[in-house]
Amino acid sequence: MFSLLESQNPDGGWPYQLGGPSWTEPTAYALLAIRAQESVSEPVAMGLRWLIAAQRPDGGWAPQAAVRQSAWVTAVVALLGPAQLGGDAYRRGIGWIVRESGEETSFLSRVQRLLTGTSQTAPGWPWFPGTSAWVTPTALSMLALRKAAQCAESGRIRARLHMGAACLLQHACSDGGWNYGAARALDFDSHSYPETTGVALLALTGKDSPVVRKACRWAQAQLPKCRTSEGESWLRLGLLAHGQLPSHAPPPARPQRTVQNAALALLASDAIEGRNSFLE
Amino acid sequence: MSGLNRREFLTGSAAGLVLAGCVRRKAVPCEKLVSVVRRPDYTQELYSDLRRILSEYRLDVRGKRVLLKPNLVEFEPGSPINTHPLLVHAALEAFRELGADVMIGEGPGHRRNTLDMAEAAGYFETIPKFEEIFTDLNLDRATEVRLAHPQSRLQSIYLAQSAMSCDLLVSMPKMKTHHWVGATLSMKNLFGTVSGGVYGWPKNILHWAGIPGCIADLYKTLPAHFAIVDGIVGMEGNGPIQGTAKRAGVVVAGRDLAAVDASCCQIMGIDPHKIEYLKLAVGDVQGLVGSIHQIGEPVESVRTRFDLLPEWSGLRQS
Repeated sequence: MFSLLESQNPDGGWPYQLGGPSWTEPTAYALLAIRAQESVSEPVAMGLRWLIAAQRPDGGWAPQAAVRQSAWVTAVVALLGPAQLGGDAYRRGIGWIVRESGEETSFLSRVQRLLTGTSQTAPGWPWFPGTSAWVTPTALSMLALRKAAQCAESGRIRARLHMGAACLLQHACSDGGWNYGAARALDFDSHSYPETTGVALLALTGKDSPVVRKACRWAQAQLPKCRTSEGESWLRLGLLAHGQLPSHAPPPARPQRTVQNAALALLASDAIEGRNSFLE
Repeated sequence: MSGLNRREFLTGSAAGLVLAGCVRRKAVPCEKLVSVVRRPDYTQELYSDLRRILSEYRLDVRGKRVLLKPNLVEFEPGSPINTHPLLVHAALEAFRELGADVMIGEGPGHRRNTLDMAEAAGYFETIPKFEEIFTDLNLDRATEVRLAHPQSRLQSIYLAQSAMSCDLLVSMPKMKTHHWVGATLSMKNLFGTVSGGVYGWPKNILHWAGIPGCIADLYKTLPAHFAIVDGIVGMEGNGPIQGTAKRAGVVVAGRDLAAVDASCCQIMGIDPHKIEYLKLAVGDVQGLVGSIHQIGEPVESVRTRFDLLPEWSGLRQS
């Protein structure tokens, strides 16, 4: 908490690393983590002003103010919910997420896949428009839409959540978890990573399947040997979401080297104590 | 930064010999000097190797900002996946002795916790005060750069400010085969200057825009270059991540990244004329190869055939 407040930039946003420029992703995570702790009115108000001013006309958010394209960070901002962002900004953000999908599932790509006999894939979300869907942005977008579905019933949101889950399940690796993308490349199996496996498990909250159970076992095995704070946090959040976080799990041990990682560590701790900002 | 234009002719004793040789050959352009140094292992001799290499190029870097850009890919200490930290430290010391203000920067392509990866790769242990001189290029301020005559489908690209504003960008890749482009060397290593904070992990926009074209675009767009390739232990087969170790026992260096990469290809038993990004970057690869002047070990004496995936068997040097 202390380090998050200390690292806020004078413009109201947060950098990834102390002294750096403000970016959308660490700003959204910092606000989410601070809000989960307790009310700190002025830094939160400054951060929200920075975020709301950065919303683009299409409803999305760019990763950094100078970037002229809405992208994956929109999902992280949307996790803050309508009470923080304001109803109109929130609805437009959710609208952007619902419209976005990986380029491999565009109409043209689907026709190409049909003509070449390539199997179709369920639509997920890309990091950046015009590119393929990947595990992390798909999982983050699903988390944002899960929250939106709690606020208002929407057939389109439900459909995207259903397809997003199918996309994640299709891309699980043979070793048990998730790589950042494909489960295989050029006839080689991809390896699973802690970060991607944890966030995918969190996005699949409530889903019970052999894939999810296998992923939980992989995540449990990785937790003691994880090499990043981000990986530790996502693994905890993912396992907790499925009731599989071992009671004897070792405490987080890795240094938090970015604002995003510090915020995620706080969010994971809060979730373990019963306040899960990703699901509530 | 005057004196560091990769197009300009070199001066100095070693280059002078080369130029004298070129005068006799008249028709051959002679601006592509490439150093090939035999170094069987990661030992203290690397420090004198690097000092000698830099002296051969007479780099005027006093008071200038030099950014060393190693290749960090995965959490595999002891594996041949990352540029060895001892080589990076040797380069750091050699450039500092020339009076340069040296920083290290990297923006990995698919794992986003760069400092954790650097720690696992031994950078913290090997390089004193590493964190103070390191910039995660993925999280650096992003600058949009228009591409003058793009070879890829991109019209502009967001690059790390530190890479754009330095006076000399030193690409320090691992010598590896690559499952999408055949070989990954000093030019492909420039992908680490593209902002991951903007494009995500991986930087998939570069795939959609065409990897060879993007490599060529970055080569032409980024400021003055120098290359130092870690070919002491490289990677063959399914590189750049899942391949196996291959000991080539060389460090390859030079001002022109295309010339260095073409020389590395020859060392690896790959025909540089068949590397698509080299064709896009320089057009006349034959002319490039013909203009390269190697100093140190002749390529033939250090040639080490790197295994290629079957998909890339056509790249093999005949």
